[in-house]
Amino acid sequence: MKRSLAYFGERALLVLISVIVLFPIAWMFLTAFKQPRDAYSLSLNFEPTLQNFVTVFSEPWNLGSMVMNSVIVATVTVAIAVPCAALAAYSFSRFRVKGRKFLFFLILSTQFIPAVVIVLPFFLMFRQLDLLDTRIALIIVNLAIVTPFVIWMIKGFIDAIPTDSEEAAMIDGASRLRVIKDIVLPMAAPGILTSSIFCFILTWNEFLFALILSRRDAVTLPVGLVSFRTERGDLWELMSAAGVMITVPIFIMALFIQKHFTRGMTAGAVK
Amino acid sequence: MAEVRLVDIEKKYGNFLAVPKQSLTIHDGEFLVLLGPSGCGKTTTMRMIAGLEDITSGDILIKGERINDKPPKDRDIAMVFQNYGLYPHMTVRQNIEYPLKLRGVSRADRKTRVQETADKVELGALLERRPSELSGGQRQRVALARAIVRTPSIFLMDEPLSNLDAKLRVTMRAELKHLHHELGVTTVYVTHDQMEAMTLANRVAVMREGKIVQLDTPKKIYAEPADLFVAGFIGSPSMNLIDGEVSGGVFRADGVEIPVTLEDRKGVVLGIRPEELAITQDASAAISGKLYALELTGESTLVTLRNGTTSACARGHADFEADIDSPCHLSPKDGARIHLFDRASGERLG
Repeated sequence: MKRSLAYFGERALLVLISVIVLFPIAWMFLTAFKQPRDAYSLSLNFEPTLQNFVTVFSEPWNLGSMVMNSVIVATVTVAIAVPCAALAAYSFSRFRVKGRKFLFFLILSTQFIPAVVIVLPFFLMFRQLDLLDTRIALIIVNLAIVTPFVIWMIKGFIDAIPTDSEEAAMIDGASRLRVIKDIVLPMAAPGILTSSIFCFILTWNEFLFALILSRRDAVTLPVGLVSFRTERGDLWELMSAAGVMITVPIFIMALFIQKHFTRGMTAGAVK
Repeated sequence: MAEVRLVDIEKKYGNFLAVPKQSLTIHDGEFLVLLGPSGCGKTTTMRMIAGLEDITSGDILIKGERINDKPPKDRDIAMVFQNYGLYPHMTVRQNIEYPLKLRGVSRADRKTRVQETADKVELGALLERRPSELSGGQRQRVALARAIVRTPSIFLMDEPLSNLDAKLRVTMRAELKHLHHELGVTTVYVTHDQMEAMTLANRVAVMREGKIVQLDTPKKIYAEPADLFVAGFIGSPSMNLIDGEVSGGVFRADGVEIPVTLEDRKGVVLGIRPEELAITQDASAAISGKLYALELTGESTLVTLRNGTTSACARGHADFEADIDSPCHLSPKDGARIHLFDRASGERLG
């Protein structure tokens, strides 16, 4: 009896937490398909429409260019950050250099600084370089944000790979770079893939720097959402439709990560 | 094939001296075993030969050429690791052909050599499997095949059999011995298993705390251990080591009186192997005490007696039977080798 009460309480708590977490998301998905007159109603009884999605992609909202900006900024950031981070992570994991721990801490410590503290120096720097409102500026800022995080993440995956296979490859005739290419990267592939997706998600969702550093040409999706707050009031149905456009790719990636996260590639390497 | 010379090599990790300065020559075509307990520096020594570990001072010469600064890939060696070190994302075929691929061997040639090598270690039918789909013994064979596929100058083997079960270990031991006979490649083999060392080696280097304490043929090491450590380490069951003293040409300990040729001295350890002791009914035998344990090993029975601080084991006939705690007497067989060591230093006295 005591046990079933505890069981019931535990389940009830889980349901409550799920409702709190999922309610805004469900609300956003429903509102995206509502007509403006139904936007404020909590009723599930409404006439669904795809008009909101058509509207956000047409003038004056032009979500298409924001999607393009977000895709380019996130993809290029991942394409640069992950290979660099993988090499750095390998070095931190394998080479016993003096000051290694301090250097690693230094890199990680960049994550402790609140973004709002450095956004102004970044703004001034990019204004000086005439890079304000460019994708390049956003890519540089995002690289600075995600690279330390990705180094830390990939290092964890490389640490878990036994060194025996690497040493065997070196004796078999491989150079250090060849060992990384032929042995380490394939073995760490699930981890690197997971890190890449995390990196993409972080960049995709980045708001503060994009808000300050972009005006018109380099506006990304999260910043674009703000434009639905107009003098006519908040256009919730359009904001929700744009929200769905932002969220769906991330949902798909999160599912992908979940699948790969638990897959071990090192099985069978040793013993 | 090649001769390997270690000249005054030393390895330090910070202030910790892992391998003190020493020299060793491994002859061309020889099977040399580095034997010792865990942490004695044998694997470090092998890794220095492989180039996986820098040497702090000294020189390593292969075929007379100093190779201290050469990376592992340029030393023309092959190594079998304790945990095999296979490439889990590659098939057995890709694992075996990897060293050939790195050396630019043509695809056709690679295919032939991989098949030949795989057949040699009975892996021919498993070439398309991945390591995770193989048993421990099969993985070990893949590691071996990868090492022999390109006939290097030197084989290095780091406890290659230690992860196998006892039966498979015996089979693989014979295969390694045969392989060495067939290929004649200079081999350095690291193990803590004295049985492996005795059965495989041309010469054994017994190591302790980083130092080679005895370097000789297995037969010689078994017959004339250089010190107390080697005496206790080699042999299964290990040599009986009895603490006592010598007075009037007789070694004395609790229940023990054995004539020896040594001047009067205290702190002496007498060593005698179990197979050189005979079980007797004679109450005036050299070693007397009460029967402590009987262990049937199949082909013989191990008889252990105790008397005070003395404990001695003899290898008796498989049919031998007696009651525990009954009086028991042992005497050295004719021609039995009696070893005497200094208790404090472990040095051999005679």
